[in-house]
Amino acid sequence: MMEKLLEMASRVCDQVEIYSLEEIADGVSFENAKLKEIDSTNQYGLSLRMIKDGKLGFAYTKNLTNREGLLQNAMDSLKGGVEGLFDFPSTQEARSPETYDVSVESLSNTALVQECQRVCDRIVRNTKGQVNMSAYRAIAHRRVINSRGTDLSGRSSVYSLAADILFPGSYSAVHRRVINKKFVKTPDDTLQFLLDLYNQAESEAKLKAGKMKVLFLPETLYTLIWRLQSAANGKNIYQKVSPLMAKMNEEIFDKQLTIYDDPLDDRVPWARGFDDEAVSCRRFPIIEKGTLKNFYYDLFYGKKMGTPSTGHGYKSSMWGGETVSFKPFPSLSHLFIQPGRGSLSEMIATMKKGVIVAGALGAHSGNILNGDYSIGLAPGLYVEDGRIVGHVKDAMVAGNIFETMKRVAEIENEQHPGSGGMYPAILFEDVNVASKH
Amino acid sequence: MSSSTEGLTFQDRKFILNGIEGVRRVPMFKELKSILSKVQADYADIRYETKRETKVTFNGEELTQTGSNTTDGYVLRVLKKGGLSSIAFTRSRDAERAIRTAEENALLISRHVKEPVKLARTTVVRETFTPLLEEDPRHVSIDEKLELTRKYNNIPLKHEAIATTTTDYLEITRDKYFLSAEGSEIREDLITTRIGGLISSRDGALIQNVRVGVGGSHGFALLRNQEEEFEKKTSIALQLLKARPVEAGVYNVVLNPSMAGVFTHEAFGHFSEADLIEDAPTLREKMQMGSKLGNAVLSITDDPTLPNQLGFYKYDDEGVAAKPTKLMGHGVLKGRLHSRRTAAAFGEPLSGHCVAEDYRYAPIIRMGNIFIEPSTRTLDELQSAVGDGLYLLDHLGGQTSGENFTFGAQYGYVIKNGHPAEMVRDINISGNLYQTLKNIVAVGNDLVLSKSGGCGKGQMNYRSCNGGPHILVNGVVIGGQ
Repeated sequence: MMEKLLEMASRVCDQVEIYSLEEIADGVSFENAKLKEIDSTNQYGLSLRMIKDGKLGFAYTKNLTNREGLLQNAMDSLKGGVEGLFDFPSTQEARSPETYDVSVESLSNTALVQECQRVCDRIVRNTKGQVNMSAYRAIAHRRVINSRGTDLSGRSSVYSLAADILFPGSYSAVHRRVINKKFVKTPDDTLQFLLDLYNQAESEAKLKAGKMKVLFLPETLYTLIWRLQSAANGKNIYQKVSPLMAKMNEEIFDKQLTIYDDPLDDRVPWARGFDDEAVSCRRFPIIEKGTLKNFYYDLFYGKKMGTPSTGHGYKSSMWGGETVSFKPFPSLSHLFIQPGRGSLSEMIATMKKGVIVAGALGAHSGNILNGDYSIGLAPGLYVEDGRIVGHVKDAMVAGNIFETMKRVAEIENEQHPGSGGMYPAILFEDVNVASKH
Repeated sequence: MSSSTEGLTFQDRKFILNGIEGVRRVPMFKELKSILSKVQADYADIRYETKRETKVTFNGEELTQTGSNTTDGYVLRVLKKGGLSSIAFTRSRDAERAIRTAEENALLISRHVKEPVKLARTTVVRETFTPLLEEDPRHVSIDEKLELTRKYNNIPLKHEAIATTTTDYLEITRDKYFLSAEGSEIREDLITTRIGGLISSRDGALIQNVRVGVGGSHGFALLRNQEEEFEKKTSIALQLLKARPVEAGVYNVVLNPSMAGVFTHEAFGHFSEADLIEDAPTLREKMQMGSKLGNAVLSITDDPTLPNQLGFYKYDDEGVAAKPTKLMGHGVLKGRLHSRRTAAAFGEPLSGHCVAEDYRYAPIIRMGNIFIEPSTRTLDELQSAVGDGLYLLDHLGGQTSGENFTFGAQYGYVIKNGHPAEMVRDINISGNLYQTLKNIVAVGNDLVLSKSGGCGKGQMNYRSCNGGPHILVNGVVIGGQ
């Protein structure tokens, strides 16, 4: 089917690329420890890019019932004059990380419901907080072919369970997620971690505004990571709006911080051997011991900057959406922050007075390009003399990542799933906290 | 008003032909009836949609995307023995498997729930509804859309201190076919257009961004003659380079209609959505009908039937007619936004607010046009009443956790002795919903509703519309830097 389309398109232009994605997913959700919803989806989609006389055409569809119509849409789009000076890659081989476990094919919704129920029961017995939970399984099959002979495909499976314990009167909660390429029972220590965090912080605390130690949990580090992703994005380098433009090989963060992208690391189920433009993936340092090492590019912005794609062209957006409808765009989605030495409890013990960011509100607003952040705590866990003494609301943590990330006190010795990567908790010195009190 | 067919591309003509009612309507409903007839359940409905997106994107001076594409899909919902489940699928050949999956999932839920799901009774509707448009965007050539976007994009770019822009033209046409086992058969089109994006200014290492957006749900004419809006937002992006960061602290503030709107939507509106509080007992307890939650000056309504507003629709994605719904009257909780399921569970009237992003999703409860009702005070009076404080303008997005919310302002002014003085930037505010509802102490007379939107609640709603007049709020926490 795709080959026929490739052949038809090749007759009318210089280069062609076809991308297809088939996904099935089932998800169950529990609210207040009760089964609430089960939803399923079965989606297929395909997109076509073509290059002719240095111009780029793009089209997509959900059902390939009308090849001529899709081809016509791409040719109409060519007329707009979008620049397409790059070449699609001839990638004969890409590494194949282990991303698929066949057992997920037969993982039933009954099994998802049973596991959620087991975890809910365990939490409910040990806390007064409200428990919300969701679990899903998904299988995706992705294929990219192009007129330069590239034909790469990959299949991946994901199982995930996310648990929240909510503070009264709100959705403010402590969270933790289990994610794997096959079903795994949520470990007891994960549940115990959540229970301890919630139970220690159960009472409400008042926080006095000022500069103090702030600990970001892996679940809220995306607040800072989004700003780094934006500043190191090849598009923003090309457009000269990144504060990192002239900082290559400079020490921009604390020496303890090493941040790299590694799509090949298949300990996580979203590992990839090739990006959505069929460029091979590799381990790719962004920050090495505090020093800026690389900006990341797709084919389009790589060509603009006279550098090859770094294998970061992904069809994604910040807010989800229909994958096939997006053109590839530079995206850093397999991040790892190198763990440090201390355990989380040891790190908390070093905080004479400070706050743990357990939930962030409004990480998407503010001047992201400039590195500024200003988030509501939902909640913050207040620490005094090395112990969590309660949760705080009505308070904000604010700063600029290029100052905050220079002041690392300590990094946790373990990585946990966060948004777009695997992160340890990180403790920072002297972060500004605003509060009513 | 509609443009002539002069200047249409071949593709546009083909689309109009395809869109003629009666050509596609009968076979599609026939197919949907055939699918529903195979479902064995207490209730089922199915929605088929085609979604046509036209996009033009400029990054700086460069055009980076242009084109039109159509996608489609089905969403089936099944209620069986008290369990409600949904499945979304792309290909008609997958329908039978989808039916079986949805039936199994509904039964699985039914075995676990104590209270069987019931759907509130609704009127059976058989109607085709096409919105009245001021110039149908489907009749405007892609070349004209591209040139208009380029024209607006060039307004900021003529200034040296503007580092770059992102300017998008986005047109989404959803042709919806809804069929229920109760006999409702509804065709409704939703056509959304907007031109908007981000203007970035730079002075050395300092970068400032201002969002701009024009558009709506009633035609292409809304996008014409908008130069002034792009000039204004460009000027703000330039002025922000000279503004100073706001000092963190607690302030009395005047919020402009955009900020008042996002407060209404984020902090209050989401907790008027019955599905968000249904199974959150501590939140539900606070949101009891008749509770005095706000200051007596505060009244809030959601009305998807307001003509010519971004959030307009006639029927929701359960086939229920949208109704104006008073949520708060003089500080007292008066109503709630419902789906058929939650209306039955709460024993409250249907409001017609159960809406899906597109063919990939089952509907969930969403706001339509939510706003604070205007009162009598002028902006000058509100600023005088503040004395010393802040005047905050144009929201930068927000988020809520229930009791607490955070949202950003694009810019603001320090108010001294009742008058706006120097400009400030880097403004994010945070507050407690219940305290803030009481701290809204004065409401202006100048209602404005948003022209472009986007609310993510698992799904994106580009027609999310909110607004209000200027309002005065005491004791707001500002994060600063």
